[in-house]
Amino acid sequence: MNKLKTNFCGIDMKNPIMTASGTFGWGKEYSDYFDPNVLGAIVLKGLTLEPRKGNPGTRIAETPSGMLNSIGLENPGFEHFKNITMKELEEDISTNLIVNLNGKTIEEYVELTEKIDKIDRIAGIELNISCPNVKDGGMAFGANPKIAAEVTRKVREVTKKPLIVKLSPNVTDISYIAKLVEDNGADAIAIINTLLGMAIDIEKKKPVLGNIFGGFSGPAVKPVALRIVYQVYKAVNIPILGMGGISSTKDAIEFMMAGASAVSLGTSIFTNPLLPVEVIEGLNKYCKEEKLKNISDIVGILHK
Amino acid sequence: MAAFLEDVKIIENICLGSRYYLLKVKSEKIIKEIKAGQFCMIKPLDNALILRRPISIHNIDKENGVLEFYYETVGKGTKELSTLKAGDIINIQGPLGEGFSINIKDKKIAIIGGGMGIAPLKELIKQVNKENKVVFIAGGRDKYAFEILKNINFKNTIVVSDDGSIGEKKNTVEKLKEILEKENINMIFTCGPHIMMEKVAEVAHKNNIYCEVSLEERMGCGTGACMGCSIETTKGMKKVCKDGPVFNSKEVIK
Ligand SMILES: Cc1cc2nc3c(=O)[nH]c(=O)nc-3n(C[C@H](O)[C@H](O)[C@H](O)COP(=O)(O)OP(=O)(O)OC[C@H]3O[C@@H](n4cnc5c(N)ncnc54)[C@H](O)[C@@H]3O)c2cc1C
Ligand SMILES: Cc1cc2nc3c(=O)[nH]c(=O)nc-3n(C[C@H](O)[C@H](O)[C@H](O)COP(=O)(O)O)c2cc1C
Ligand code: FES
Repeated sequence: MNKLKTNFCGIDMKNPIMTASGTFGWGKEYSDYFDPNVLGAIVLKGLTLEPRKGNPGTRIAETPSGMLNSIGLENPGFEHFKNITMKELEEDISTNLIVNLNGKTIEEYVELTEKIDKIDRIAGIELNISCPNVKDGGMAFGANPKIAAEVTRKVREVTKKPLIVKLSPNVTDISYIAKLVEDNGADAIAIINTLLGMAIDIEKKKPVLGNIFGGFSGPAVKPVALRIVYQVYKAVNIPILGMGGISSTKDAIEFMMAGASAVSLGTSIFTNPLLPVEVIEGLNKYCKEEKLKNISDIVGILHK
Repeated sequence: MAAFLEDVKIIENICLGSRYYLLKVKSEKIIKEIKAGQFCMIKPLDNALILRRPISIHNIDKENGVLEFYYETVGKGTKELSTLKAGDIINIQGPLGEGFSINIKDKKIAIIGGGMGIAPLKELIKQVNKENKVVFIAGGRDKYAFEILKNINFKNTIVVSDDGSIGEKKNTVEKLKEILEKENINMIFTCGPHIMMEKVAEVAHKNNIYCEVSLEERMGCGTGACMGCSIETTKGMKKVCKDGPVFNSKEVIK
């Protein structure tokens, strides 16, 4: 029996391991190192209606046990995604595909959702209202409770696909926003998107990133992410997709104990491209050792 | 083409003077696939350094199963690397990216390296020198930057320096122009500071010479997954780690 089998907000998955949007490209970039179909789901790079070039370079800076990125949602836009990316994905990918969806306006979020809804092969939508690297939409939407509720409600009206709303840690009261989003039709909450940060090059006397600020991720953010998962678990009744600095099986277990039903691996895949395989094996071993019927037995155990 | 993660043993890691190092490792998998102009991502041992460091392939010694890298210590990762000794194990990922066009014949080629840009050129010279005529122009900041030329051991090398302390007192671009006045060069390959490559490409374009440049960008993944190294080209957004680091100069330099 597969002890990792998970149903995450209606999506049947062979395990609760996903890849975090923006760190696993368009699903196949790591195929040289492992078969991406071992994943419970692949969350694709942030998609927008129109193509986006992203932000000017430098887009990456390393910080102690972490990194900053200011990619700015570079992507080829929906038409290319539907006609080319999806075709390429269908050839090799059999596991669940989740689209990370972004818009500049509420109307754009809705229009893109309507289009995604028609693609059968997409198992779910991760609504990104928390990207810190774009001027319009992004974090500005996620940080404003009224808009977060409105965009969730309007998107909900046009899709039956499981709707996972990805929230920003860059707010005062994330539990409040999570609850609002739940009340407006979200099927799950994804936390956390990156923390807003910056780095300075003292020789050049300039910010390292072309965009000045960037999204902070990697092992350094784990304690913050874990705390947020714990808090939001108390506030909502829908499942949580936890992420932020997970770099080992132990980290994944911590997130699940704090309340995540599934986890996404991100930045740490850059360090160790075999991490997803290691975490899946690690969780299997853990289930055996702890004599669990299913990995879900530990979800939220801290709150019991 | 496949890429691998490989634990490799260090055979030698020697200082060539100042901040310049030559690293030799024993490889079984990566060595079978890697080509001139491609690179590897080296994982630092210190776990606080979460990103791998991109380093070009300097020489492929297939006979002995040894890969050579030539690097300069600039920050934490390369400083750590410089402290490692023969027998130490590091994890490298590669081969990554697209290298230089090496399947060419009967051409006159100018290969131009500036500073650390010399790193990927040993293997390139080795590959293309067999069936073509090559002139190698090497420029560097200080005398130590030229120590590597002994390892490259190529007779048709012209050394230039800004202050004339070593070789001719010229920059690489002036030297290239001088050569073009006398010789009919068909192809130019270059790696070095961006501004130098821009000037080289300008000269190439003016003289209608095919030119390839090897670019550098900060990298997160090295595999095309993060879009951290994207640049604008005449053919749209491209990734230096996957579509490059070597590009046709016309695509990336106006
Ligand atoms: C395709 C490619 C091939 C390269 N080949 C060589 C080579 O053969 N020899 C060599 O000496 N150097 C090479 N470099 C540059 C080398 O990657 C950097 O000098 C090195 O990563 C610096 O790491 P650090 O930890 O010492 O510096 P830090 O400044 O501490 O590094 C911090 C972060 O910035 C990144 N970074 C810093 N400088 C650069 C840079 N110039 N380019 C890309 N990322 C950088 C690091 O990888 C790290 O993620 C190459 C770069 C690229 C993109
Ligand atoms: C290079 C990079 C690009 C990212 N792009 C996106 C994106 O397009 N959409 C999104 O919702 N999150 C994006 N993220 C955030 C991640 O999905 C994740 O929420 C965050 O990095 C925390 O997890 P980690 O610490 O495991 O990476 C990106 C992160 C990184 C490092
Ligand atoms: S470094 Fe990630 S796409 Fe090039």
